[in-house]
Amino acid sequence: MQAHDVEQKVDQLATAAMQRLQAADDAHSLEEWRVAYLGKKSELSQILRQLGQLPAEERPRVGDAVNRARQQLQAAYAARKQALAEAEQQRRFADEAVDVTLPGRRTPRGALHPLVRTMYEIEEIFLGMGFSIAEGPEVETDEYNFEKLNLPKDHPARDMQDTFYITDTLLLRTHTSPMQVRTMERMRPLAPVKVVVPGRVYRRDEDDATHSHAFNQVEGLVVDRGVRMSDLKGVLEQFARAMFGPDQAVRLRPSFFPFTEPSAEVDVRCIQCGGTGCRVCKETGWIEILGAGMVHPRVLDGAGYDSREFSGFAFGMGVERIAMLKYGIEDIRQFYQNDLRLLRQFARAW
Amino acid sequence: MKLSYNWLCEYVDVRDVTPEQLAARLTQAGIEVEGVAPRSRVRGVVVAEVTACQPHPHADRLQVCTVHAGVHGTHSVVCGARNVRPGMRAALALPGAELPGQRIERAVIRGVRSEGMLCSAAELGLEVRLLPKEQTEGLYPLPDDAPLGEEVSAYLGLDDVVLDLSLTPNRSDCLSLRGLAYEVGALFNRPVHMPQPSDPAGLGPSPLQVRLDSPLCSRYEAQVLCGLTPRPSPLWLQMRLLASGIRPINLIVDVTNYVMLEWGQPLHAFDGDEVQEQTIVVRQARPGERLVTLDGVERTLDEDVLVIADSARAIGIAGVMGGENSEVRASTRTIVLESASFDAVSVRRTGQRLGLRSEAQQRFEKGIDPLAVRAALLRAADLLCSLGGAQRVGSWVMAGSSPEAPDQVIPFSPRAANQLLGTEVDPAEMAEVLHRLGFGVQQTAADQWLVHVPSRRPDVSMAADLAEEVARVLGYDRIPSTPLQGAATAGVRTPLQRLRKRTREVLTGLGLTEVFTYALTHPAALDALRLPADAPDRRQVTLLLPMSEERSALRTRLLPSLAQVAQYNLARGVTGGQVFEIARVYLPHKVPVTEQPAEPEYWAGLWFGSTEPSVWERPRPYDFYDAKGAVESWLEALGLLEQAEFRPALSPWLHPGRSAEVWLGDTRVGSLGELHPETADRLETGSAVYAEFALDPVLACLSERWRVTRLPRYPAVRRDLAVVVAHQVSAAALLQAAYRAAAAAGEEENLLADCRVFDVYTGRGIPAGHKSVAVALTFRSAERTLTDTQVQAVEAQILRQWHEQFGAVLRAEA
Ligand SMILES: [Zn+2]
Repeated sequence: MQAHDVEQKVDQLATAAMQRLQAADDAHSLEEWRVAYLGKKSELSQILRQLGQLPAEERPRVGDAVNRARQQLQAAYAARKQALAEAEQQRRFADEAVDVTLPGRRTPRGALHPLVRTMYEIEEIFLGMGFSIAEGPEVETDEYNFEKLNLPKDHPARDMQDTFYITDTLLLRTHTSPMQVRTMERMRPLAPVKVVVPGRVYRRDEDDATHSHAFNQVEGLVVDRGVRMSDLKGVLEQFARAMFGPDQAVRLRPSFFPFTEPSAEVDVRCIQCGGTGCRVCKETGWIEILGAGMVHPRVLDGAGYDSREFSGFAFGMGVERIAMLKYGIEDIRQFYQNDLRLLRQFARAW
Repeated sequence: MKLSYNWLCEYVDVRDVTPEQLAARLTQAGIEVEGVAPRSRVRGVVVAEVTACQPHPHADRLQVCTVHAGVHGTHSVVCGARNVRPGMRAALALPGAELPGQRIERAVIRGVRSEGMLCSAAELGLEVRLLPKEQTEGLYPLPDDAPLGEEVSAYLGLDDVVLDLSLTPNRSDCLSLRGLAYEVGALFNRPVHMPQPSDPAGLGPSPLQVRLDSPLCSRYEAQVLCGLTPRPSPLWLQMRLLASGIRPINLIVDVTNYVMLEWGQPLHAFDGDEVQEQTIVVRQARPGERLVTLDGVERTLDEDVLVIADSARAIGIAGVMGGENSEVRASTRTIVLESASFDAVSVRRTGQRLGLRSEAQQRFEKGIDPLAVRAALLRAADLLCSLGGAQRVGSWVMAGSSPEAPDQVIPFSPRAANQLLGTEVDPAEMAEVLHRLGFGVQQTAADQWLVHVPSRRPDVSMAADLAEEVARVLGYDRIPSTPLQGAATAGVRTPLQRLRKRTREVLTGLGLTEVFTYALTHPAALDALRLPADAPDRRQVTLLLPMSEERSALRTRLLPSLAQVAQYNLARGVTGGQVFEIARVYLPHKVPVTEQPAEPEYWAGLWFGSTEPSVWERPRPYDFYDAKGAVESWLEALGLLEQAEFRPALSPWLHPGRSAEVWLGDTRVGSLGELHPETADRLETGSAVYAEFALDPVLACLSERWRVTRLPRYPAVRRDLAVVVAHQVSAAALLQAAYRAAAAAGEEENLLADCRVFDVYTGRGIPAGHKSVAVALTFRSAERTLTDTQVQAVEAQILRQWHEQFGAVLRAEA
């Protein structure tokens, strides 16, 4: 055996091995390759074992050549192994990939009814201003619904509200205003009285797109020493800004309610057009959202707050009307139809 | 109230103010103007006389008319009206004329040239629904003295604008031109000139006797007039009535209406020759007394009705409607004009009872000005004399209290008014406003005034009213916005309000959608619930006069309402849903109802149809456990799950084998279950699960204060056991037995820390009528780490207990 031949053989072996390595494209063939070229029975190992047959002075040189070839193959093997592992992992990831466009696993959110949601929005604003929330009976007495509110029997102002009677003296409340009196009677002589009263009310009206025999109101009442009509305007302005946006303004117009004096209708800037005029506001830039006024001295005195010492204001708003304006609902009956396709839209919390 | 701008300007000159400006100012002052509309837009239409009519050569129904229009010359016009005839005067629209909705040009009609158009009432934009047939069919006939060539718009007063006022019930004064003139005068600071009626002296006493026999009439005045023949009113008067929405009838009736509009005082005229013994008695009707009213209806009266009578019989219902027996007819030669003050409540009640709502009645109801009673009577007599050639027969006659109603005098403090309004209006400015309104101001001391309010403003009776008058005339814009003063208050919800809110949060979080349904329901809606005849739920609060039977009874249960929601949505292609409502039911203490009912609040849920289809779970019908899961989550959120007990229940509307009631201690708080098939059938919900819970008893079980349980120090040991038991053995019974057995086994402490069912299996390998129940047992000691032996001992006790009590065997052994 010639050193030169051996070196040549090692070179050939290494070249052939490198070539074959390219063909090893899975873990199994790579292992076969390793056994064939780097294993104990591989030709390189055999050459190494036969090294002793060479002359002593040539052994180091040939040994180096064999080791170099072995290292080269080992490095190539390691690189190939890693490449294959990476490819294998890529393949696995691809197999495991999920369709991220499929819906997630969840319980569809429920929703508050738009009327309740609106009532809560209103309540939160007044809670923030230090009002508490009171509630009262829907089946009311004529006395509380009318008489104690300065609406004696046979007063023409009773025509303003057509009433569902149950007996001569019992009725379905036509407004939440009886709670003004009930609250004052409960609180007297404490001051201040600051409440809002949400609740269902009833009018003997034919149901259509803008009228409903049943609807919801939120009443407000403040009684204290020295309460002024300007405070009413201030409170309602705060409310309007919180409810409809920071650049809101309110406008008071003289009106009449038997239980307030002076009385006012209250407008806010049109939510639709912002005040420039549109169909919703009948081109006026303003929309009426509530009625209000200073509590009538007769109502105060009747409920136990001496009108010479105390004054107060009251207001009442229709929840349906506000919800219709706020959410663009055009028919009041939709609140009571409970079409899930409409209600589910209120799943959004913002 | 419809207000003619031109008519108003006769009493207060605001011709320099456009009708739109006037409307805006009135609205700003609380007299809401709902509409401003020109009476009719007519231009280029003139009075003309038809001088000849020839048949149209090519059309049977048309005529070719020669029409003379004074300075506008003679024209040939094709006309299809049936009433056209030579000699009549009518409105001719000349070529280029404008009519409401059209423009007239020269035209060739069926081959004949037409130089304009002769107009009907509708084409002129007149209020045709208030006109008699003979004026609305064909051409609108003009009087024979109508000046030829004059613009019809001016002649008929069509160049007017009508303001439609929406009056609040307190402003009865604004139901008259006089009141509105004072209002407008105050707003624009202009003087008001009302016609001064004449009160001629030396007429001698009236032939009429008047007697008041009822306190419901405080004053009755009358004037007898003769020499009248019924005839139409002059056109200008008819036009003013039309503009005000009142039907012209004849001069006598028209004058009473005209003066009512002018002064706000209702008048009535009746045939003087029909008044027996020349005596008028104002009295309450006799029980059963009958009267045929002007509308031809025979009315049966009683003591609550105030009537005008002669010595023998009723001849009219006071303030509401006259009697047919004394109606002014073509033969009438003598009339009695009546101007009176009737009790507002009496008139209102009578009108309501008879189902009448006349213009007169509305004015009496809201209160009239006592000072206008005489003035209106005199004014009407003046008009009848000047327009109809009537003569007064004697002077007026009066019965009742003196007409000199004193002004209302109100003490007023400018400072207090400013305090109430939150303004800083100069007292001098306040005084000026009050003066403009016609109120007298008398200063008695610093900041102490006496304000004299004229009788035409009965709505102003106290200082707060005066403050409003000042504010509304100056404009509410003068009121600033101020922050609320006074002691700070905390706005917090009551426990019930919080419970309601939490309940909503929990249920919506679980995917339930809230609904809101009417409280008024059909009384038969309860029938579907299979309630026994004497069930308390059947006692309902019902309305005296419902709009429909559908909305006539206040509900005592929420189920029918929720079922309707299900029905509505199923009919619209929804496959299922979970809905809830929080609402009151109305439970009378006794029927018939005499006092306010209890109004307890419930939350009720309905699971109907199938679950929502999804990629991850196949749709399946909602069942008992969907509802129970929601109920458990709700109880868990309230900290009540541990103490809640579910017991099988019997509610008539629920499936007897698939329903439960929930107890918190000794209180039953609600129930849930699949609907009874009969109920589901009648409610048309398909199979559905219903739950309802009363809020008040739950509230009573809530505790505001709770603290965390300390975390365990020693590890737990979990054992799973599967046992086979008979089908009817409940999970709760097994678990209770386990706790009891473990308690008995433990010496100092119950080592069974938790125990729950995690699987129930029937089918292969399980004997018929049996089920395999898999229970997870968690053992733990607070003192030490447990050994296997300790755990096994307790486990063995539990198995023995189960075996003894239920015949349970381990599944492996079964
Ligand atoms: Zn707008």
